[in-house]
Amino acid sequence: MTPNLTVNIGGLQLKNPLMTASGTCGYGDDLADYFDVSALGAVVSKSLTLKPKIGNEPPRVTEVACGMLNSIGLANIGVRKFLAEKLPRLVELNAVVVANIAAKRIEDYVSLAETLSTHEHIRGLELNLSCPNVKEGGIEFGADIKTLSMIVMFVRKVFSRTLIVKLTPNVTRISEFAKAAEGEGADGVTVANTYVGMAIDIYSRKPKLHTVTGGFSGPAIKPLTLAKVFEVYNSVKIPIIASGGVFSAEDAIEYFIAGATAVEVGTALFAKPDAPIEMITGIENYLSRFKLKNITELIGSLNVNLENVPHLHRG
Amino acid sequence: MVSFPGSFDPLLPRAFSVCDVEGERISLLYVAVGKGTTRLSKLRPGDKVVMNGPLGNGFPDMRNGEKVWLAVGGSGAAILPILIVGAKNSGSSFRIFYGARTKSQLINFDYESTFYATDDGSAGYHGTVVELLKAELSREKPDKIFACGPTPMLVSMQKEMSNKVQIYLSVETPMACGIGLCQGCPVKKKGEPDYFLACKDGPVFDSREVELVKEKSAQ
Repeated sequence: MTPNLTVNIGGLQLKNPLMTASGTCGYGDDLADYFDVSALGAVVSKSLTLKPKIGNEPPRVTEVACGMLNSIGLANIGVRKFLAEKLPRLVELNAVVVANIAAKRIEDYVSLAETLSTHEHIRGLELNLSCPNVKEGGIEFGADIKTLSMIVMFVRKVFSRTLIVKLTPNVTRISEFAKAAEGEGADGVTVANTYVGMAIDIYSRKPKLHTVTGGFSGPAIKPLTLAKVFEVYNSVKIPIIASGGVFSAEDAIEYFIAGATAVEVGTALFAKPDAPIEMITGIENYLSRFKLKNITELIGSLNVNLENVPHLHRG
Repeated sequence: MVSFPGSFDPLLPRAFSVCDVEGERISLLYVAVGKGTTRLSKLRPGDKVVMNGPLGNGFPDMRNGEKVWLAVGGSGAAILPILIVGAKNSGSSFRIFYGARTKSQLINFDYESTFYATDDGSAGYHGTVVELLKAELSREKPDKIFACGPTPMLVSMQKEMSNKVQIYLSVETPMACGIGLCQGCPVKKKGEPDYFLACKDGPVFDSREVELVKEKSAQ
């Protein structure tokens, strides 16, 4: 029997726990050239802003050991064009759509949420409070508990479907922020956005990104984010969506064991656009192997009993 | 885009132009300078790579009787074989301007009508391929120039010749996905605040459409 991969985030039923990470799949429609996007639990859009944004000057990306740095600067077509051009296409593709939004002002988050709430095909909202590239928005909002609470509170009032808060990992105790989001009525938290990182071209002594620092993603950050997911899992009751270096089914499974209900695949899409599809099969095989009928049996199942840690029994 | 199956080192796929096609065989031309190309250079026959392409937009089709000059610098010479097949098939006439730092870095393709330039004067014209082109342009004018090479070469061609002749530039930028997912490869639109994406809108652009910046490549 095929194991049941269905998970639920604030009433939003996902056929499996695989989502795309915002900003790594365009608006989701570009992925349709590579696989059937309706096979995913959900497609999370690029961060949408009220007005179109052209983004940062190049260079915007650079590869580093086991990861990459980016500084796209929220380049996007704006919420109106998204609703007019991209959403109908995603609906046609039977994708479950979660819209990610970003803004520089609290009232703009509210206005975006109001606009999106009138479209039934927007099944959920993910708040980007954590983009490390936009000076006035991003990091300040996501790194200040009071502001975060205020944004979640106001958005909650105008958006009744699934509301997810994407947290920044660039804080001392991420669980405090998760608790604040939960306290204001968020249905879930995404743990986490990218880490602030930097790379220098030693020959020109110039930064490798135009904005000097950028967001660090890829396999290198998985252990960091895994620890944050575990921390948050021990502090909140709402579902956690893990995002950080998910490149294989095994990575996703680690996150589930640490407490994640779903995972977002991001940078892996750049290397292999259909990576999530392989992961779905890998997760099914794992569950079958361990005779688990339901993915929910795996969530938060970490066994911290030291007697059972395999390496303690070796030579 | 080329990547290595089941491996995340290098993490991101690498962008190459198709150098030549023979039946089911695709050739790439590269210089082993970084992690990706060094790994490519160590592949043995039968080893597998993942290739996603062709992607984006190439040079415009050549027409019968059209005079096209191909200006290439360094590993930009990768575009020559496939373009020359195109030129011959379409019946357009071509001339090649091929620049490199020094003679040993020039690949001998053995094409007719090739004019070489080397920075150190060890082969052909002593100077850059752009200087060579400029000298030729003062005598004669093609219908189009197709260019591929390092960004400073493209920048000076754009600056010094695009008012005289139609130039198509194959640009090089850092790039993560190659398929529009990451928005990481912007190329400034001329006279507009907005950007093209090198991966989807390019990598070949009409030189009058874009504003290239002389940026020290970070790669």
